[in-house]
Amino acid sequence: MIRTKTKPTWCPGCFNFQILAGVEQYLKRQKEQHAIVTGIGCHAKMFDYINLPGLNTLHGRVIPTCIGMKIADPKLNVIGFSGDGDAYAEGISHLIHAARYNSNFTYLVHDNQVFALTVSQPTPTTEPGFIDKTTPFGVKTPPINPIKLMLSAGCSFVARVYADVKQISNILEKAKKHKGFSFIEVIQPCIIFHPDIGVKERTYMIKNHDTSNLSAAMKLAEEFNYTDGKGKIPLGIFYQIKKPVFEELL
Amino acid sequence: MRYNVLIGGQAGQGPNILSDLIAKALISNGYYVFYSRDYQSLIRGGHNFNFLSFSDSPIASNSKGIDLLIALDENTINLHKKNCNKKSIILDGNHPNMYHAGAIFKILNMDFKILDNELKELKRRYNENIKEATEGYKSQKTKINLKQLKNKNLSFMNGSQAISQAAINSGLDFYYAYPMTPATGVLTELAQAMKNKKSTHKTIQMENEIAVINTAIGSSMIGKKVMVGTSGGGFDLMTEALSLTGVAGIPLVIYLSQRPGPGTGVPTYTAQGDMNIALKAGHGEFPRIVLAPGDPDEAMTLTSEAFYFSQKYRIPAIIIGDKHLAESKYSSDKSPILIESKNSITKLERFNSYEKDKEGSATDEPEIIIQKIKERLQKKQELKKETKKFETYNIYGTKNSKNVIIAWGSTKGAIIDALPDIDAKFIQIMYLEPFPDISKELKNKNIIVIENNATSPLSDLISEQLQMKIDNKNKILKYDSREFSSDDIVNEVKKRT
Repeated sequence: MIRTKTKPTWCPGCFNFQILAGVEQYLKRQKEQHAIVTGIGCHAKMFDYINLPGLNTLHGRVIPTCIGMKIADPKLNVIGFSGDGDAYAEGISHLIHAARYNSNFTYLVHDNQVFALTVSQPTPTTEPGFIDKTTPFGVKTPPINPIKLMLSAGCSFVARVYADVKQISNILEKAKKHKGFSFIEVIQPCIIFHPDIGVKERTYMIKNHDTSNLSAAMKLAEEFNYTDGKGKIPLGIFYQIKKPVFEELL
Repeated sequence: MRYNVLIGGQAGQGPNILSDLIAKALISNGYYVFYSRDYQSLIRGGHNFNFLSFSDSPIASNSKGIDLLIALDENTINLHKKNCNKKSIILDGNHPNMYHAGAIFKILNMDFKILDNELKELKRRYNENIKEATEGYKSQKTKINLKQLKNKNLSFMNGSQAISQAAINSGLDFYYAYPMTPATGVLTELAQAMKNKKSTHKTIQMENEIAVINTAIGSSMIGKKVMVGTSGGGFDLMTEALSLTGVAGIPLVIYLSQRPGPGTGVPTYTAQGDMNIALKAGHGEFPRIVLAPGDPDEAMTLTSEAFYFSQKYRIPAIIIGDKHLAESKYSSDKSPILIESKNSITKLERFNSYEKDKEGSATDEPEIIIQKIKERLQKKQELKKETKKFETYNIYGTKNSKNVIIAWGSTKGAIIDALPDIDAKFIQIMYLEPFPDISKELKNKNIIVIENNATSPLSDLISEQLQMKIDNKNKILKYDSREFSSDDIVNEVKKRT
């Protein structure tokens, strides 16, 4: 049984259903033991719906929990789920160090560019001009580009997908085969607080790209800056290299 | 008999090596030795000193006055001469520390062969060291003719070494930490033990204390035995995850080594200001155990008990020490009793930071919430019941005295050393939570509380737990960031008895 009996409480039509279905599809193909860790936010409800051991942990602390599990049991397949608040605000120091450590687990960020569960405050990836009750004059600061951040931090597997069943399922497979920290940024519109305004139609799958070429990966990453409505949005693996694995070095 | 030796100089001149050489030789001559360390937050220069006391009977603190002053620099003389008397022997001059080692061996009439062997064990710089030591030895005459006593095979360690050794003995799998004085001693000891292949555990430094405790939780969930260590500031950062262990039922041993706060405070000195964070930190209501060792022997016993209880009840166990315990070295003729450590009963399951239902998913159902809270309260009751079978406090001194001293942690040494000169019974609390019922011991007594802080949290704890109010004038509180000497205790207790 991949699913628990708990009934999902996401909004009808939420893109988290796509991600959940993608994870399910991936898990159906797996024979080895998996464990999951989630943070706090809408994404974290994944823990309630997927019948796997692990921890629905504190806000921002998915990464160190996953690392602790991998150190204790290097053979265990661990998938961490975070939101953009979890990954890029509360827990960003862990994210940068995770790229440095290169512990062998998969990390999926449900980036909906908004704090949804606390009803619509801006996160580090929210675009300038975004207005909500806590930000009446609009967001002033530019968002971070998570792909560029992870490339500069030395992450050994950097990918981006759209919140789509097949894309999720496929990238999880590739991440599992990668030995090291697999960072997957998921563009996930929030249908209530941060809907997709022409993002999906601008996406395209990365082709004819040397994934070991860091400067080429950086160039691809710069095509979408999470701000304006112009340009194409590349999806797929930006960068993948071999690097020593943290738990094997201890 | 008792002698006090002060060894002072600049950071980097090696007062620690010198103290250890002298201490080990005294121990092999049958003497009890204690030394404390006073150092500043700098790498080279400044003024550091070690204060070593030795006696033919057990000793666990310093007293006032200097019998022998070893000055590795001029500043040491200027600063400490006021504590010397006419009989004090002063070794100074621009000599390397091994010259002074040789000199003191001659002054105390200790066998030069012992020093030679010690220098051989040191390995590095042997030829230079032995040359300097020989010169120093020849430069002096014997002034204190120490009798050779029976070698008692005393152990000689500091609190950091004791905690590390007991953690290994308890089957430690992982020690996670971020460097912070005075908890760094355990990080160093456990890293070195790994290097020397004395244990299969791993010592891992993470990027900050929040990462430290959450990584520890990840490993503990898998069923490994895990400890983290830090001081007050780092403990504050760990607090949210401490509460997580409470709701999720994840065992964890936390070593909290106090130094004077608030803020960065006085980072290389000592205080007992953090009892309340050990007892109360973390949001929500959850059971925990808080253990306060008074010397390295107890640090060993209580560390083993911290592992035992945290694993058995799946709760956080906090060992609260301080800089004085962590870094002072104590000789002991006891072999501490360690409780046998069983394998972890924790295995990978569906843990949750939320209140969870029976399939491990988050819930807000009132019935389940009440049930979960009752389970935690039940744990607290069972824990209290079982700890009654343990030594949760010690009694020393005059059994039927009308005066009762109550204290916890590293003040123990100075109080014990003061007892022969005062009329008092001394109750040393080792279990701060669950708190032992010592009401009977306190009935109709003149109660005196001794603490290394300014607001006496122990008095508050006694009022809360035993409904007894401690008279303000009976609180002996020292908050200059230095430990008590036994004279401090004698003088202050005499004013109140």
